[in-house]
Amino acid sequence: MKIIVNGKEAGSKETGCALCGATWGEYYEEIDGDRLFFCCDFCALEFKNMVNEVKKRTGWSKIDELIINGNYYTGRTCIAKLGEKEYKFYVKFNEEGDVGIFKEV
Amino acid sequence: MPICPSCEIKFNNWYDVAEHIDLMANKRSDKSHVMWLNRNLSIKRLSKEELAKKLEDYFSTPEGLGMWIRKRFIEKFYGENPHPFILAMQKPTRGVLLGYVIEHQHFLKNWVKVLSSIVFKTDKDEVVEYELENIAVEFIGYKGRPSHYELLLRMGESLGMSREKILNTQPLPDTQFAINTWRRIAEEKHWLITMACMHSLELVADRSLRNYGAKLHYFDPQILTSDEYSQAVKDFLREGYEADVSHAGEALHLVEKYAKGIEEEIQINVLKSFDAFSKYLFARLERGIELEPQLMRVITR
Ligand SMILES: [Zn+2]
Ligand SMILES: [Zn+2]
Repeated sequence: MKIIVNGKEAGSKETGCALCGATWGEYYEEIDGDRLFFCCDFCALEFKNMVNEVKKRTGWSKIDELIINGNYYTGRTCIAKLGEKEYKFYVKFNEEGDVGIFKEV
Repeated sequence: MPICPSCEIKFNNWYDVAEHIDLMANKRSDKSHVMWLNRNLSIKRLSKEELAKKLEDYFSTPEGLGMWIRKRFIEKFYGENPHPFILAMQKPTRGVLLGYVIEHQHFLKNWVKVLSSIVFKTDKDEVVEYELENIAVEFIGYKGRPSHYELLLRMGESLGMSREKILNTQPLPDTQFAINTWRRIAEEKHWLITMACMHSLELVADRSLRNYGAKLHYFDPQILTSDEYSQAVKDFLREGYEADVSHAGEALHLVEKYAKGIEEEIQINVLKSFDAFSKYLFARLERGIELEPQLMRVITR
């Protein structure tokens, strides 16, 4: 999965956390066959919940590319891509790391 | 005394704090330390030396503690990316204002309860007076004027929602989370910390923020003379606009006066209060979106 966070490639130790782009921490999780880097388990949890929500709503079995813009304070406006298809959404997580607000845009 | 801004352990110097944070964030990926760094210092990993220097700079108060709080507030709410609720307040719709009313009634009730804990704990008469006056202004009414709480409810009614409906609407989870944060501070911390955490939030409506680098006002002051808004809306907004100008400043002055020895503890708790406030302001907008789905545009633009 190709991931762009606020304009920069992310998802490895060098490029930063797959959700927030931070390079602190040392946490990995395998998602859709890719070993992704996260700054903490909380970002990983939020990322997984977000990906599952997108799959549930689109019926896709995987995501090729994910563009994430925003942060903890503002929530995140994103584009998921699969082949030629695009799905735009807004997501904000709650205190438990679950999807709190999710809206197609 | 240098303190870990995440877990509040005390250390002898900033290098020791940096070493501790490096261990917690980089070796253990501890979410609360990582989040603190991401939200306040940098999302880029720093060496221990760089981190120690950055922490020391971040918490230093060359212009005094009050100014430190003011500048951090501006950074978080009025800086390059102003808070979405403040953006929405530049030309508030009915949904924005009703979201404000529904969530804010819970905030205001909790506000006076928390202030009363300061009255309970302090031994300074000037602080007791300041807080009791504030409680009166917010909740009881003062010098023949209706309380802010009453003005808020009238604003809601003028927008077409009954008082009963407003009062019977439970707070959104983010509002409740924020309220719990402030209650915990009031219960566990020194009264001066509570005072700093609460009154620094009043900076949100402080017009003088523009003089210190804020990019926006809380709302466009033209609203106060515009025909597009009801008298009740203008009355409520004007009250905050006029009252809080020197008000937050006065509290920060008192905090600074008595802060000796617990400055860092005040600073890190103020940051926690700001995070809670950000969530809470967002809840006002979330409530607004429930009533007016087009408002999503404010946050996805
Ligand atoms: Zn992260
Ligand atoms: Zn710590």
